[in-house]
Amino acid sequence: MIKLKDLTKDYGTTLAVNHLSLDVAAGEIYGFIGPNGAGKTTTIRMMGGIIEPTAGSITIAGIDIKKDPVAAKKIIGFVPDRPFLYEKLTGLEFLKFIADLYQVEELHLLRKSEDLLKQFALWEWADEIIEAYSHGMKQRLIISAALLHDPKVLVIDEPMVGLDPEAVRMVKDILKRLAAQNVTVFVSTHTLSLAEDLCDRIGVIHKGTLLAQGTVAELNLAAKTGEARLEEVFLTLVREA
Amino acid sequence: MTLLRPRLISSRNGLRPGTQNNHWTRLFLFILIGLVFWIGAFLVFYRILTYFQSVQDFGDILAMKLLSMMIITFFALLLFSSIINNLSHLYLSRDLPLLHSMPVGIRDIFLSRWLGAAFDSSWMVIAFSLPVFLSYGLVYKAGIVFYLIAFIAVICMCLIAAAISSLVVLLGAAMLPAGKIRTLFVILGVLLAVLLVIVLRMIRPEQLVNPDSFASVVLYLNSMQALSLPYLPTTWITDTVQFALKRDWTHSIFNLALSASCVFSLIFINGMAASAIYFRGFSRAQTTAKRLFAPLKFRGHSWESLLNFLSRPAKAFAVKEIRSFFRDSTQWPQLFLICALIIVYLYNFSVLPLDRSPIKTIYLQNVFSFLNVGLAAFVLSAIAARFVFPAVSMEGEAFWIIQAAPVSIKTFLWIKFFLYYMPLLILSETLIVASNLLLGVTPFMMFLSILTIFCLVPAVVALAVGLGARYPDFKSENPAMSVTSFGGVLFMLLSFGLIALVIILEAGPVYRIFMSRMLGYSFSLMQILWFALSFAFALILCIFTVFYPMKLGEIYLMKR
Repeated sequence: MIKLKDLTKDYGTTLAVNHLSLDVAAGEIYGFIGPNGAGKTTTIRMMGGIIEPTAGSITIAGIDIKKDPVAAKKIIGFVPDRPFLYEKLTGLEFLKFIADLYQVEELHLLRKSEDLLKQFALWEWADEIIEAYSHGMKQRLIISAALLHDPKVLVIDEPMVGLDPEAVRMVKDILKRLAAQNVTVFVSTHTLSLAEDLCDRIGVIHKGTLLAQGTVAELNLAAKTGEARLEEVFLTLVREA
Repeated sequence: MTLLRPRLISSRNGLRPGTQNNHWTRLFLFILIGLVFWIGAFLVFYRILTYFQSVQDFGDILAMKLLSMMIITFFALLLFSSIINNLSHLYLSRDLPLLHSMPVGIRDIFLSRWLGAAFDSSWMVIAFSLPVFLSYGLVYKAGIVFYLIAFIAVICMCLIAAAISSLVVLLGAAMLPAGKIRTLFVILGVLLAVLLVIVLRMIRPEQLVNPDSFASVVLYLNSMQALSLPYLPTTWITDTVQFALKRDWTHSIFNLALSASCVFSLIFINGMAASAIYFRGFSRAQTTAKRLFAPLKFRGHSWESLLNFLSRPAKAFAVKEIRSFFRDSTQWPQLFLICALIIVYLYNFSVLPLDRSPIKTIYLQNVFSFLNVGLAAFVLSAIAARFVFPAVSMEGEAFWIIQAAPVSIKTFLWIKFFLYYMPLLILSETLIVASNLLLGVTPFMMFLSILTIFCLVPAVVALAVGLGARYPDFKSENPAMSVTSFGGVLFMLLSFGLIALVIILEAGPVYRIFMSRMLGYSFSLMQILWFALSFAFALILCIFTVFYPMKLGEIYLMKR
């Protein structure tokens, strides 16, 4: 469903992503971990069509994002690491705006928006201007907006930042349910326990290069760490890189 | 001083080579434009003062009256801009929570922010008051001491205005959330300014410089020597400068000392007020403002249904843009200003004394009509600079939504273009038709004006959208200010250049055509060819300006 091939991003002074290649199957939850400045956000932003790769290709459900970005974006749900929104719109108006951009069927739109806002505990705030929302509420609104058009692929950068424990549990459950419905989830995170708990496979990136990928057991094999927790595996891989 | 250091270091770092927003080009451009204005202001004042000197008996009174009017205007400007700056610096800046979390006394925080606000609201007034004082000094042949005293007096005036404003803001913020006060002050201030401009225009101040229109010289002199109140800081500042000009050092220094002591007293009072109420107001400013108006609906239909003729993405953008604009109360005063501008613009045409001119009226009417095209286009440029140029930057940090959405950057930019094109076209054409009707021009001039504006509006709007996309600032706290950035200034220069070129290209043929109608002669083949080429080149120029900047903006946004 997701195919990155020799993906490279060179900012001129920094080589943020260096010939990154990976595949993610349909219905899989793929965790992307790495230290600060490893190239996670750059990779995710390239996958979301927000920045252009210097070289390499990104294919989403067989669509090359460079050749047909509009078609690719129609099936992607993108959640950035920081919840910047149109602050002067209300939550419901924002969802309507997103629905119009993604050409979501109008017939069920109101019902769907209501369901999502209720699911993310935002219904009471639906008619409030977004600038009155807390960080966590904005994050929840962005996730609900990303799900509005029933994406086939969900690309999320740091989904749990700013969320309270209840919301974290809720988001985890939603992601698992989506994967069960064959939605592919690509999630970048610093929360290793979350990656361990949620992801089918995990990729470790450092200085723009993919060090290892696989299940936690496979990563243990690669790092020669026996049956250690992901935290130990991660630190070993990064230290030895 | 420690609290001011981040600001000073940030400014210094902005000048480092290789920083993304390299300030050197910007700085150079600003200095150049500033210098042009500066020299212009100096020449105008020098000319006026020399003329006053030539007026027997009351030339001096006129010069001093002008000085006092200038100082009152500067002071009013300073008060208004200080209130807005103090609100931002003391209550609304993004770095304030960090500053308040530090182990620093509330009085120190206040003073550091106040100094920043005072600087931001005063530097321009100081810079542009210098040519005024220089021209006074040269005309009155004043010595170096005059310049020194005038400079200190201006600094005192700035500090007094900043201190009075901060006191007003401190008291206001203790009662109302700072966001609401800003809205209130901005709206009141602009309404006041608009009213003042309209009233000033209606009473036709140009007649005041014509002593013939007064019943007698005595009446004229009396109106010039209006009472000045001895307890007002502006009186002390004016007296300081006036006495220094006349080399009456004792009175000049006495008034300067009055001003300086007023500054220190006000700073002391501000410090005390800040210790007592600044933090309370700051805490209050952290609350979010409630919506001012309920959603507008008519028989179950919202106003959005009026936009149903647009495609879904285009309608989505239009609705978002309109909502964001009207919910941002800082934008409203701009609308009042535009209304005032249009009223004054049209009023000026209605009072043109064409019948009193020695030149043939019909000729003059049509010359004015042609100049009017240029003038209306300049007004259009100014409006585009304020509203259209920042349109892309207005997306702010939420621009990722556009980048991630299944809408191409090209579509996004063209939607923005059409959103602003339609209202600006209606506005410009209304302006040109109404002013031409007031002038009573020939049908040919009416047709030509309408057509020229019809071609210029899309060019100016596309130039603004395109350059706004080429030089966006998605991180600005106030994107509307991006008009003062390098891209904004470049837009203004290119837009004025385009208008001037189109007008020049049309001027020759229009003059010939017009004269031929008046004098009844026909054209040679070469002349017809020249006309066709001139009009064609003007059209090509407009078409090129519609597409090229849009492409530039699109390429930049896709690559960034």
